[in-house]
Amino acid sequence: MSFINLLPHLLNGITLGLLFSLIALGFMLILGLMEQINLAHGSLFALGAYFAYALCAARLPLPPDWLAVWAGVPLIWRFAAAVIIAPILVAPFGLILERLMRRTYGRDPLYGLLLTFGVAMVIEELIRVVWGTPDYMLPVPQEISGGFIMLDLIWSTYRFWAAGMAIVAMAVVWVIVERTRFGAMVKAGAHDSEIVQALGIDLTKLRVWVFVLGTMMAAFAGVIMAPLWGIRPHMGVDAVVPAFLIIVLGGVGSFWGAAIGGLLVGMVVGLSSAYASEWSMLSMYLLLLLVVTFRARGLFGKKSVLEV
Amino acid sequence: MKTSKNSKISSGLSRRLIMKGGLLSATAAFFGPWKHNHVWAQGAKPIKLGLTCDASGQYGNSGQDDLRGIRMAIDEFNAKGGVLGRKVEWVTADTETNPATGTRVAERFVSQDQCGFLIGALHSGVANAITQVANKYGVIYFNTNSSAPSEAGENCSRVKFVWDGNGTNFSKAAVQNAVQKIGKNWLLLTNDYVWGHTTSAATKAQVEKAGGKIIDNLLVPQNTRDFTSYLLKVQQAKPDVVAMAIGGDDMKVLRQQIVSLKMDEKVAWINNQQDWPDIWGQAGTLFGVFGTSWYHKLPLPGVAEFVKRWQTAYPQSPIPVPGNVSYNGYMSTRELLRAIERAGSTNNRAVIKALEGHKMPAADRMQHFDAYIDADTHQVQQTIYLARRNAKPADPTDLFDVISWTKPETALDDAAPAKCKMKAPADIPTFDA
Amino acid sequence: MTPARRTPIFTWAMIIVWLVFASVPLWIEKVGLYHYLGVEILIFALYALAYNLVLGHAGLPSFGHGAFFGVGAYAFGLAQFNIAANLWICLAAAIGAAAIAGALVALFISHRRGIYYALMTIAFGQIFWFIAVKVHSVTGGEDGLLKIERLPVDLGLAAFDLTTNVALYYFVLAVFIVVSFLLWRIVHSPFGRVVKAIKQNETRARFVGYDVWRFKAAILVISAALSGLAGGLFSMAQASAFPDVMSLHYSGYVVMMTLVGGGLVSFWGPVIGAVAFFLARDIIGSVTTGWMLWFGLSFVVLVLFKPEGIAGIYQSLMQRRAKASAPAVAPNAQGR
Repeated sequence: MSFINLLPHLLNGITLGLLFSLIALGFMLILGLMEQINLAHGSLFALGAYFAYALCAARLPLPPDWLAVWAGVPLIWRFAAAVIIAPILVAPFGLILERLMRRTYGRDPLYGLLLTFGVAMVIEELIRVVWGTPDYMLPVPQEISGGFIMLDLIWSTYRFWAAGMAIVAMAVVWVIVERTRFGAMVKAGAHDSEIVQALGIDLTKLRVWVFVLGTMMAAFAGVIMAPLWGIRPHMGVDAVVPAFLIIVLGGVGSFWGAAIGGLLVGMVVGLSSAYASEWSMLSMYLLLLLVVTFRARGLFGKKSVLEV
Repeated sequence: MKTSKNSKISSGLSRRLIMKGGLLSATAAFFGPWKHNHVWAQGAKPIKLGLTCDASGQYGNSGQDDLRGIRMAIDEFNAKGGVLGRKVEWVTADTETNPATGTRVAERFVSQDQCGFLIGALHSGVANAITQVANKYGVIYFNTNSSAPSEAGENCSRVKFVWDGNGTNFSKAAVQNAVQKIGKNWLLLTNDYVWGHTTSAATKAQVEKAGGKIIDNLLVPQNTRDFTSYLLKVQQAKPDVVAMAIGGDDMKVLRQQIVSLKMDEKVAWINNQQDWPDIWGQAGTLFGVFGTSWYHKLPLPGVAEFVKRWQTAYPQSPIPVPGNVSYNGYMSTRELLRAIERAGSTNNRAVIKALEGHKMPAADRMQHFDAYIDADTHQVQQTIYLARRNAKPADPTDLFDVISWTKPETALDDAAPAKCKMKAPADIPTFDA
Repeated sequence: MTPARRTPIFTWAMIIVWLVFASVPLWIEKVGLYHYLGVEILIFALYALAYNLVLGHAGLPSFGHGAFFGVGAYAFGLAQFNIAANLWICLAAAIGAAAIAGALVALFISHRRGIYYALMTIAFGQIFWFIAVKVHSVTGGEDGLLKIERLPVDLGLAAFDLTTNVALYYFVLAVFIVVSFLLWRIVHSPFGRVVKAIKQNETRARFVGYDVWRFKAAILVISAALSGLAGGLFSMAQASAFPDVMSLHYSGYVVMMTLVGGGLVSFWGPVIGAVAFFLARDIIGSVTTGWMLWFGLSFVVLVLFKPEGIAGIYQSLMQRRAKASAPAVAPNAQGR
């Protein structure tokens, strides 16, 4: 296959990679800064998608008159509202989860993992109870859907919009973590909690905010991915597995690890699908094995308390 | 206002009804033996059917539509006083579009709920799994809607009857014409499981027989939601025709992505079989040519009346009219209960004998040609329809424009009998249900 | 490691568990359940016991154990079709294949622990699952490997047929008795004690001179092999092998069973957990489709308040009673 034939698959891989990075980001925040594995990340992602669906398709538990007004709003505005409101609606779930997880702080990190696994299961079932088992498609406003022609092929417009939104979200997180006092405190807290507390900083409060930020990122990723992946109760698993894989690959606790790990995974999946599409998802696992065999802590990983 | 209130109640009711099926089995679980003995003592023990219908997964929607057809047939017989003077009872459980769950549910229906007959399937893997259990106990199983050619070929069974037209039937009806009129270069999009594989293999054989060529076969994993990389490959390969064997919710999403990219007019798309529940609610994404075994606006006597009966039974169904899936559920169940009447007994061997080779007049089945149950493969050989999007719908449900109907003999899967090896009737465990 | 008290070869708990299971076919239909459920419970009890060797005894959080169970199931079927339709050969194939898979995984992860161990086992579990789904020609893909027969138990002099669920149940019970006895011995052998020492403090164990890597690898291989045995039995029960037992969900279920039952504090905890899990699925599941919601909730509550599980609750009840009768007993006796 010549390069010009591969190029579309590479491009496809890059957009996919950016979206993978976006999914991994919230996971990375909580893992890297709080040293907690959040297996419920996928479920929060799914909740984001469902709330976005409720907003975009105007299926809300509101009085009929209000609902009619809301349904009359152009889809583009409903969609824009969903992108912002859905993560806010999911945030309380993150707050509750963080409260529950407090009981596991200081214990074997395994308990955090088990707790979030159980919570993931509960949220998935709650989704089934509320929305039932059928699949939903998130309606995408015409302005950003459809296709355009490039390299003689038709491309999905939304995919590029989604990749763009992923870049914006990542930039915001980067600024928060690397360029604000809040980020500096959180990072210091993850590094040495005693000193930070001795300086009079309320670590508990900080952690809550990190958790909420991670939760909102998960929900945001869910909204962005919903038009591409569809909405169904177990969509969380499709998200959490690549997320943790990217984190292990990129290195726990590294922002650039998550970003570059995601891109790498996307490109490998994209390129391998040019040759053997049905095996493309396996390529990311093989990539992971390859990387961690030679670099035990992933590409950018530092030593973490999780290893003890 | 009043209707909307009603709608709430009845949709709640219909949901509860299904749960009641479940509840009944739960109480039977605890008080079963005594309660049953009590009824048997009265003489007429009910005939119990186990309905193995998906309520979740890739075919969750279709499974519930299947169930509506099956229940309607049962209710009609009970309204006439049952079968052989016995009431027909049913239980159902979600088979989750998952073969392993299918096995467990079938085991439970046979050994715990004492079901003498099993009905229902969309997914060929689930149908296979249920068949294995049915085989072990000699319980008659009706595969209502799984159309993998292997169901009446390699995976056929003396106790299983297959009610849908299969992939080979549809290919035979569609391919030759398309190779001549549209082009010789074909690309296959195949759902990565038995039905997809066997259906695409059937299409390939027909394409090559008609002088065409398969330039690529893309395997699509089940539950794929992002088809971008496949559509890229389709565009790069530039085929004349793309033949799709993608099922259930996957097909819904694929169609939507093709239409939103406006690729529906760039190549000719043939969809082996378009199940009604997979198109309802997404009429805008219908394109290409597709197969079906029945349509609710066929210009035949009895069709309109049947649709009305169905709508009266399910006023709040999420799908407002019966489609091919519900039709197969209804027809198969009705024929089972009739066969029991013909046999005059619920003995499994006697019922099988009453079914094998049985002829069903076209008028009775509301199709264009007479159908029959193939004694060699246990497949129902029936009229195969091809349709396309209806440009001038008579009402919002009138989505299909039926363009051809093929005789069962013409669409016959003639390779199946050689592949199908059944046990002799005398070798299956016998019992009276 | 001083043999302060010898571990008894048989315990009362062991004999009671065996006897209770032996009596199940006599009453299971009377309480409205069915024999096939009994078979599934017993197989998963075996699987959970084998799994707990890694989680409870070695403290290694494997989240991809379904892979070994599944490999055993496929190996059983493939051996039946391609090598010989003999029960012992097929079971040996199930054990062998799962042991090899376990050794392969152990090679990559035995220097890891804690969360990294969990993450790597998830990755491996996904790889095995993915391969099982994809290699149609070998595994039958998503439709599973079908037509696996329940082979007769050939003892040379006599042969027993396993086609009925009751016969299969008793055969699985025989295997269960042998394996649980074996596991009991392993846990209380010098080898088992070293593994326990590694769990408590890996660095110290290394300083004392143990080759920690080897012990961790060995315990995973043993656990994988026995999980494979359970998988082989399961393929007989289902007459097929399906990929979904290898999925992340199913791997998680066995973790849940083990924890809910109390695998962290009790040898028999996983058995209690398997029973609780399947009864919940069947009884709550026949009333509402959302049974997992309730099971998941109780799992969350247990992790939060009583990670020692059902067995742990029982133990603290016993302790409280003992304390009530003799207030001198040390209050914080419960271990993890």
